[in-house]
This record gives sequence, structure tokens and C-alpha cells, in this order.
Amino acid sequence: MSYTGEAFLGLMPELISTAFLIAVLMVGVFAERSAGLVASLAALGALVTFVGTAVLLFIGFEGEFFGGGYVVDGFALYFKLIVSGSAFFAVLAAARWSSGTGDAAEYLMLILSVVLGAMLLVSMRDLFGIFLALELATIPSYAMVAFDRRRRESAEGGMKYLITGVIASSILLYGMVLIYGVAGSAQLPDIARAFSGSLTPVALIGLVLLISGFAFKVSAAPFHFWTPDAYQGAPTSAAAFLSVAPKAAIFGVLLRILLEGMPGAAPVWTVVMAFLSIVTMFVGNLFALRQRNVRRMLAYSSVAHSGYILAAFAALQGDAVPTGVQAVMIYSAAYAVMNMGAFLVIDLAGEEVKGYNGLFRTRPGLAISMGVFMAALVGLPPLSGFFGKAWVLLAGAQSGSGLVYVVVGAVVVNSVLSVPYYFGIIRNMFFEEPSGGETAGEGGFAVEFSVYTLAAATVIFALIVGPLAALAQASGLL
Amino acid sequence: MITTVTIFIPLLGAILMLFMPEDERLVRRTAMVVAAAPLLLALYIYFAHGSDLGAAQLTQELDWIPSLDIGYRVGLDGLGFGMFFLTALLTLIAVVASWDIRENTRQYFVMLFLAELGMLGVFAAQDLILFYVFFEITLIPMYLMVGIWGDENRKPAAIKFFIYTFLGSTTMLAGFLALGVLAETFSIESLNAGGGLGRTAQIAIAAPILFGLLVKVPAVPLHSWLLDVYVSSPTSTNVVLSGILPKLGTYGLIKIALPLLPQGVEPFLPIVAALGVVNIVYGAFVAFLQPDLKALVAYSSIGTLGFILLGAASADPVGMNGAVLQQVTHGLYSALLFVLVGVIASRTGTRSISELGGLAARMPWAGGLLALGALAAMGLPGLAVFVSEFMSIMGGYTTFPLAGALASLGIIFSAMYLLYMLARVIFGPIEKPAYEEITDAGPLEMVAVVPLAVLLVLLGIVPGILIGIQQPAVEALVSVLGGG
Repeated sequence: MSYTGEAFLGLMPELISTAFLIAVLMVGVFAERSAGLVASLAALGALVTFVGTAVLLFIGFEGEFFGGGYVVDGFALYFKLIVSGSAFFAVLAAARWSSGTGDAAEYLMLILSVVLGAMLLVSMRDLFGIFLALELATIPSYAMVAFDRRRRESAEGGMKYLITGVIASSILLYGMVLIYGVAGSAQLPDIARAFSGSLTPVALIGLVLLISGFAFKVSAAPFHFWTPDAYQGAPTSAAAFLSVAPKAAIFGVLLRILLEGMPGAAPVWTVVMAFLSIVTMFVGNLFALRQRNVRRMLAYSSVAHSGYILAAFAALQGDAVPTGVQAVMIYSAAYAVMNMGAFLVIDLAGEEVKGYNGLFRTRPGLAISMGVFMAALVGLPPLSGFFGKAWVLLAGAQSGSGLVYVVVGAVVVNSVLSVPYYFGIIRNMFFEEPSGGETAGEGGFAVEFSVYTLAAATVIFALIVGPLAALAQASGLL
Repeated sequence: MITTVTIFIPLLGAILMLFMPEDERLVRRTAMVVAAAPLLLALYIYFAHGSDLGAAQLTQELDWIPSLDIGYRVGLDGLGFGMFFLTALLTLIAVVASWDIRENTRQYFVMLFLAELGMLGVFAAQDLILFYVFFEITLIPMYLMVGIWGDENRKPAAIKFFIYTFLGSTTMLAGFLALGVLAETFSIESLNAGGGLGRTAQIAIAAPILFGLLVKVPAVPLHSWLLDVYVSSPTSTNVVLSGILPKLGTYGLIKIALPLLPQGVEPFLPIVAALGVVNIVYGAFVAFLQPDLKALVAYSSIGTLGFILLGAASADPVGMNGAVLQQVTHGLYSALLFVLVGVIASRTGTRSISELGGLAARMPWAGGLLALGALAAMGLPGLAVFVSEFMSIMGGYTTFPLAGALASLGIIFSAMYLLYMLARVIFGPIEKPAYEEITDAGPLEMVAVVPLAVLLVLLGIVPGILIGIQQPAVEALVSVLGGG
């Protein structure tokens, strides 16, 4: 173990984002009237972090630091790529809105600290390190949700998010402590030794509490109550970013905990995941069907998509483990592009479903982009969401477990169940007459650029899914 | 390479349409040129390579997702070529017949070409995932075509169409993925004859795939989405909707379910044959009760699709040849009838059979061609549908004698309602004074229907020109099934 150049190289993405985080805050303090400069700096920070991560991935960097508690492998870098990439679009989307609040630097700094937390999270190999990184990623996100002082829902959403988040964190911590008590160590490899063979009751409780805590964080039902209020109240860029980036990282670290830390207990946690997944899918979709507000609809839709990803966790058994890991990785990337895009459209076209009437006549480019996002969220090929779902079904088919086949059936049924609400928007945009009242939001060029870029990414995902799958396969996690 | 070029010309056409100026005449002419290109290429393929389509020819293979052995694999064989050609032809005819699309013509053609991309792709795909991708690409354009340009009932019809077929195709996808992941490849060629899977696994995989395909056809208990969407669509959408889309289901049966899972589908074949007969008989009966001319044609179309199911389920060389041919002949006659119904409705302002009458006096050409189409639909010897239906029944009779016998009864039923319709609409006294003034089909409308009529007659007299092409591929298929 040496803290030489190698360690600095491996931690480059984290160091870059830390540097930019401080720079953004400093510039914000000393150059008060320079919102544009602050935003460009933050966007540059996200972009440089992204490029740095990509370089590490490209040269195939692998390494363990801090006594094996921190690992940089293909798996971690892949999720860091998703996090920093979505942060770039979040900053672009937030640029104009945040300069209007007068606190641009603070808001953008919060985005970068979530990035830092999420990037640390996927590299941690120690339960308490994981907890710290998770808090580093979530505490700024409470502030992001409550940041919009002009809207009362923002404070309300932030408050709900904060309270449930704190409860979730304590449950998670309790679970971790119990696991630590059983294993005598917080390091995942040590836990793996303790969690082989049959589980003691304490270990079982620890495991269930741990999964429940994470279920809160990824808004899996029945722990999803904060999601619609938080996403409705949050500034659009916050909802867009929080629904994809920290969530991807949390799914990533959960994979690492389960597969590196307790592979022996797989028969237990796959069953828990199977039920969690089925409930989450149905709750998300059934509630989304009733929404008239696009933010709330997308919030419930994100619950449903957590359910699809959890289905891949349920399939992590037998021959299906590598495919299941790939499913989570590919789904996270696919979801990041399509869901961010869908959220950002709200800034351009408003949050009422009716406001989308006739959008195809008035703003065809925006309508087509939104159509692409909706079709992708349904899972239509050749758009990104299709590949996520296809991998989940693949893993399910490979797992050879009866319960997982039921989960696969639920994925199929839920895909169909989700059609009416996603296509309700398409119907309004394409089939209805424009309602007259211009509800255009406070978008601006940067938001439009993000939406079109993400729409293009959703479409050409079909071309990059091959390399992405190869990357996922060689990721180093099993 | 030529296959890929043919498939993706419509995509270029769709992009071109997006950037066209809002000049109605220019847009239509350009669309016709774009639509003609794949047809010319398909004709070239017919004459240059038509004799050699036993296995997939003109193939191209590119890596797509190598870790799962999913590839961009296309090629043409005798099973798919007929429909590949028909897709190109009917798209051109749909462009010509789009006279009732008066608003947003450019966008309409964008949708039509995107749908054509998917349809051409399905009939050329040699990879399961690619097949599914093309299969689904057709959905959104068709949904929007019905939903934007259809009649007043279009919105519920469009979403119903979408949900039903999406349910079917997602179920089918689960089956495809299970098949591919267990056999460790998604190449249709390598998966031939089961890809090494045991009988139980094949049956478990065949069930969802067959369900998805039968919804798409639609086989009768799964057909409730069809009528609304057929009746609500504009004429030119109907051409594609009835001429090509159901064949995505039947072609999937012939190209994928049967050869890739021979042991898996075997227990289901009697059910498929029975569903075929149900389609034939039910379609004919319900068509008889329809007051609306378009609904009558729609049910007639459901009915004759049954012959494809029967012929394919027979696993007999004659029946299988009939099924493959029936896909094409069904497309020809149903497109012809839908266009003519559109022509008549645009003149008289109604599609109600009881309000029409004596049109032959004023519209000799349209009326005559409608009679030709109806006679073809009822399987009159000398017209193309007779050949394919007769072969399907023969094959069906060999394997399932009762089903074959009942199917031939279906021909009699269909003759009854079609002759009744002809007598009511075309012949007899002129129903309303207003009909004295109507004019016959114009030159553009004739351009849309005459090629279909000519092909119906031509294939009726010399069916060998198409059967000869599909024969080697059908024989290979039947030998996999162990029949014949």
C-alpha cells in the first residue's frame, strides 16, 4: 500500500470534482454578479470529471486504496461516468434558473457535492465508508429539493424528503451495525465469510434493515412516499438529476454489497428483492396512471423503473449473475438519458398534462423529443429503455428460478400497464389541438440543448449498447 | 448490402421529408419517388436472385452486441421475399392513395416511411433481436397515423391498437430472450431446429412467442383491437395496416416459431389450426352482419388470414406453400378493396351498405374492380387468392381433416356475404338521386388499384412465378418440422 502517483490517478475524478466544487463556491462568493461564470465553471467541472473517468476506464485502470476499503475498478468507473455525465446536463439545465434565484453558486455546488458523494459511494468497500458517502450524496440533495424559495411545494417536498431520508439513514445504519456485529468487520470480504452458510436471526434482521434502508433511497415501494412530493416540489434540474445519478450509484453500491459482501446469503436476498420489485412496479405504475401533473407522473414512473431494476437484483442467482449485473448497469445508463430528458422537457413545456396539447403543432422538435423519451420509458426498441428492459428479461430467463419467472411476468405486464400514461402525453402532443395558453417554462437555450442532446442519446443508444455491454461484462464485479 | 440499402431507403426518405418545403405537389411527388426506389430494388432482386432463395441470400452481418451474439444480420429468403416485395409495393400504393390526407402531408409520409423501414426489416431480419426491433418500429408510426389522420373515433382506436399489440410483442420478446439466452445465440440461422434445446424448454418458450404472434395476426379471440382501428384509419393507412401488418404475425410464425422451435410448437399446432378455422368461419359470419362497407372488408380480411394459420399449422409442404403465398395474395386483395371502399366513400359520402346501390352504372371501373376484388376474396378460380387458399386447405386437410373440411365451408360463407355486398352496392337500381352525378375513379385512383388487380390476375394464372421462389425455402422449413 502506497499513496503514490497511482492513488492520485485512481482518485482523479473525485479530486477534480472536489476542486471544481471549491472553485464554484469561491467564485460565487467573490464575484457575486457572475452567474454565467459560475455556471460555466460548474459545467466544466462535470465535464472534466466525466472525461477523467472516461480516461481511467479507457486505460483499464484498476486499483485498491486505503487498506482495500476503496476500490477503483471498471464497475465503479462505469457508474462514475453516469453520475458525472448526468451532472453536466443538470448544471446546464440549472444554469438559467439558478441565476434567477441569486444563489447560483450554492445550488451548483450542491450538484457537484452530490456528484462527489455518489462517486465515492460506488468505490467504497467498507460499510461505514458506504454510509458516509451515501450521506455526502443525500444531504446536499435535501437542500437541492428545497431550494426553490418561490414555490411553497419546494419547501414541503424538501421537508418530507429530509425526514424520510433521515429515518432511512438510521434504519440503514442500524442494519449496518448489526451486520458489523455479526461479521466483526465492516469490510465486505470479511462480511462475505460471516454470511456464508445459514444466517443467524441477527444477521437476517441486519440484512433486511439494510435492504429496507436502500429501498428508501431508491424509492422502492412501500418506502416510496417521499418521491412524488419531493420531485414535484424540487426545481426541475434537481428532480431530473436526483432521479438518475445518485440512484444509479446507490444501485451500484447495493450490487457491490450484495455480491461481494453476502453472496452466500443470495437465496435470502433474491427473494426479498423479488417481492420488493413486484410491489414497486405495480405501485409505481398504478399511481402514475392517475396523475395529471407531469412531475408527479414522472416521479411515480421513477418508482416503477426502480422496480424494473430491482427485478434484475432478484435474478442474481445461478448462471444469471453476470447478466444481472449487466442489466443493472445498462438499465442505469439507459434510464439516465431518457429520464433526465423527460424531466427537463418540463422546463420548456410546463408541468400540466393538458399543457402538452398540440405541442406537435407549436413546437414539433420538442414534441418529437418528448415522444422519444416517453416511448423509451415504455421500452420500445430501438430506444434506450428497451435495452434496459431486455437485459432484465434476459437475466430473468437465465436465472432458472420460478419466482423470478413470476417477476419477469410482472415486468411484462407492467410495461403494458405503463403505456396509457406515457402515451397520454404523446396523445396530447400529437392528436389534440393547441390549447392556446402558452405555458412555456423558463427554459432557455441550455435546457433546449440538453433536451435535444439527450433525445439523440436515447435514439443512438442502440449503437453504443454493444460497447457498453462489453464494458459491463469486463467490469470486474464478478 | 443491397438488402440493407433497400431497408434503409425509407429512413432516408423520412429524413428528406422532414426538410421538404411545404409544397403539397412537390412533397407528394418526392414521396412517390422515394417509395418507388425500394420497389425497383425488390424487382431487381427478384430477377437477379429470385431462383436462389432457398436459404438467406444477399446477407449482411455486423456485430451489434457481441457479448450476447446479437448481430445486425439481414438477408432474404423465399419465405420473406414475397412480403418484402409486397411491402415495397403497398407502400408506394399507400403514397399514391393518400389523397384523403390533406393536412400535414409531410409528417404523414415521415410516419409511413418509418413504418416501411420496420416492415421491410422484419421480412429481411436474420436475427431474433433485430426482428423484434423492426417488428416494434412499426408500432409508433402506425399509432400516430391512425391517431392523427383517422376519423372522429381515432384516439381510442389508436391506443387500443397500441396496447394490444404491445402486450403481444412484449410477451413475445420474453420468449425470444429466453430462447436466445439458453441457446447462446440470437442468429436465426444458428437457432434453426431448436438450437439444441430440449422439448420441454421449447414448449415453455413457444407459448409466449405464439401468443404474441397470434395477437398481432389477430387470431380470433385476440382480435378485438382490430375493427376500430381499421374503420378509423385513413384509406392509405388501411392499405398497409391490412396488407402488411398482420403478416408480421404470420411471418413470425412461419419464419421463427415453426423452424426455431419445431418440438415446442408441435403440441400447439392443432390449436393454431383450430384458430385458423375459427378465424375463417367467424370472420365470414360477422362480415355478413356488418352494415358498414369498410367493416365488412375488415372482417373479410380477418377471415382469410385464417387460411394462413391453417396452412402453416399443417406442417405439410402444400399447405405451407399455400400459407406463404396467401400472405401475399391476402395483402393484394385487401389493399385493393380498402382503396376502392375509400374511393366509393369519397364519392357518395357514406360507407353504409344499405345506402349504397347501383354504383356500377356511374362508376364502371371502380365497380368492376370492386367486383374483381370481392371475387378474389371469395377464392374464385383464376384469381390469386384461390390458389393460395386451395393449397392451404389441401395441406390442412392432410394433417387435420376436420379443420380442412370446415375451412372449405368458410369459402362458401364468404361467397355468400361478398356476393350479397356486390349485389347491393354495385348492381341494382341507383339508390339515391345524388348518385346520378358521381364520377368514376380518376387517373390517380386507377394508378393505385390497377397494379393490385393485375397482380391478382397474374398470380391467379401463373402462381409459379412466386411459388417457384418460395418453394426451396418452404421445403427446407418442412424438413425441419419432420413432416411432408
